[in-house]
Amino acid sequence: MAILETDRLTKSFGALAAVSGVSLAIEAGTLHSIIGPNGAGKTTFFNLLTGALAPTSGTIALDGRDITGTPAHRVPHLGLARSFQRTNVFPAFSLFDNVWVAAFARAPSRKGIAWRSADRYPEARERALAALADVGLAGKADRPVREISHGEQRQLELAIALAASPRVLLLDEPAAGLAPEETKKLVALMRGLKGRYTIVLIEHKMDIIMSVSDRVSVMHFGSLIAEGTPAEIQKNAEVRRAYLGGVAA
Amino acid sequence: MSRALIAILAAIVVLPLVVRPAIASEIWIFAIFGLGLNLLLGYTGLLSFGQSTFFGSAAYVAGWLLKHYAINVFLALGIGVAVGAASAALVGYLCVQRSGLYFIMLTFALNQLFYFIAYQWTGVTGGEDGMPGIPRPDFLGIDFGEPLPYYAFVSALFLLSLWIMKRIVESPLGKILQAIRENEVRAEALGYDTARFKLAAFVIGGAFSGLAGVLYAMLFGIVPLEAIGFVTSGNVVFATLIGGSGSLYGPVIGSFVFIWLSESVSTLWARWPLLLGVAFVIVVLFFRGGVVEAWARFSAWRERKWRSSRQTG
Ligand SMILES: Nc1ncnc2c1ncn2[C@@H]1O[C@H](COP(=O)(O)OP(=O)(O)O)[C@@H](O)[C@H]1O
Ligand SMILES: [Mg+2]
Repeated sequence: MAILETDRLTKSFGALAAVSGVSLAIEAGTLHSIIGPNGAGKTTFFNLLTGALAPTSGTIALDGRDITGTPAHRVPHLGLARSFQRTNVFPAFSLFDNVWVAAFARAPSRKGIAWRSADRYPEARERALAALADVGLAGKADRPVREISHGEQRQLELAIALAASPRVLLLDEPAAGLAPEETKKLVALMRGLKGRYTIVLIEHKMDIIMSVSDRVSVMHFGSLIAEGTPAEIQKNAEVRRAYLGGVAA
Repeated sequence: MSRALIAILAAIVVLPLVVRPAIASEIWIFAIFGLGLNLLLGYTGLLSFGQSTFFGSAAYVAGWLLKHYAINVFLALGIGVAVGAASAALVGYLCVQRSGLYFIMLTFALNQLFYFIAYQWTGVTGGEDGMPGIPRPDFLGIDFGEPLPYYAFVSALFLLSLWIMKRIVESPLGKILQAIRENEVRAEALGYDTARFKLAAFVIGGAFSGLAGVLYAMLFGIVPLEAIGFVTSGNVVFATLIGGSGSLYGPVIGSFVFIWLSESVSTLWARWPLLLGVAFVIVVLFFRGGVVEAWARFSAWRERKWRSSRQTG
């Protein structure tokens, strides 16, 4: 059964339909990639799923329940977490504090929130440390964000999403700006995360898509133009045209 | 016991020996006011330019009850805290949805509104003449009318306020407010209703302001109109920035510097605000973290010098 499903989801900015009638079903436990040239509407699609933007029309369902219009701060509590295409962290915080804030947001109880020491929430602490360990940053937990490399900041971005213990992970170009060596590590990490979470992955790099995805959807000018297995997508002529057009532009 | 706490305890003991007890009391009262502001300014990153709304409202309401109904000291403090928190809830509710300059201007404008009400409502507030005749009732046989017992009382309440604020900023709430300061969009995306958290910061800050307002009214026996005016709002921002908004103790140091300077220098030189202006420019240009940062840098410099002199010598 689809864990996450959109029905004719549309977002217009004035005359521009950034997302246009997108109907997409994400099966539980799969890694479903969304590809498409720059400006295709992929990030906007995530913004709709997470409540950061309100759709112009269409609906979003999680576990078959309509969640359209849920405010952004409620969405994580439904089990949806995202990472951002442009690193979006807490710059003055240590790495640990970055993930801790994400973990605490989903703490089963916020008892003592204004009074008890922040150290005394073992469950949030463990989840935060586990998220850092997942991305290989456990050794740098106490370092401030500004002391780590761009690649490590991308991993932190991912760890923040993981610390929210989501059921569905929405990852927006996690490999953006990574060196080839770092990209390899990321692919390995994605393989490790697969199966533990339902993952929706926006990615540009075809080699990553082809090696980790269960299914691939292709977006072009706001619409879905194809969906299939990685192999099917690779053969699809329309996709090639869209992609070549996108690259050339 | 931390070094900061030892320094504060020492200051509490020594201060009344060096300055008039009324000035000494004012320093700790203003520090309580600064602690409340800094939860907004330093921790949440919200520059409220209307803190005297809460300070003044509490001073008027509790002052009026003290004057006309001779209520108990602790009841007066409790009412002041409640009025500070309630007025901050109202102002906060209207302000937290705005950001940047709009936010600052709105806190300022609402402050002006409260000021105007106090100015007009002469039957209660005394308007420009202020509300005089506020007593400091005895409690359990202690005569708070005497300067020193009142100073001890104020000092104890300051320590209590400091302890409470320390607990708050070290709690998850403190972390979340800082997360909002650092990146509000991400905090929201993580599942925090940031407007509600900002409102909480307002209410807590308002409660501290209210406590300070009542103590101030009892200290001088009057609520002057300026207690709810924008100069008071500006002063607390000013003092906090001079002390350093980046740490818990910044506003305490700021209050110390601000009140002490304004009392000692103003008697010598009428244009003393000019001096404060210069201090402010220096802070903004070179020490964004205020006195606290300046001290940290000085210690680091001394440490380096000490090390290098050991190596060469
Ligand atoms: N908040 C916004 N206001 C106006 N236009 C926007 C906004 N967000 C995105 N767009 C436009 O929508 C289109 C899709 O953008 P985006 O979703 O970021 O694409 P992608 O992530 O696929 O590169 C682009 O043309 C972009 O300029
Ligand atoms: Mg994008």
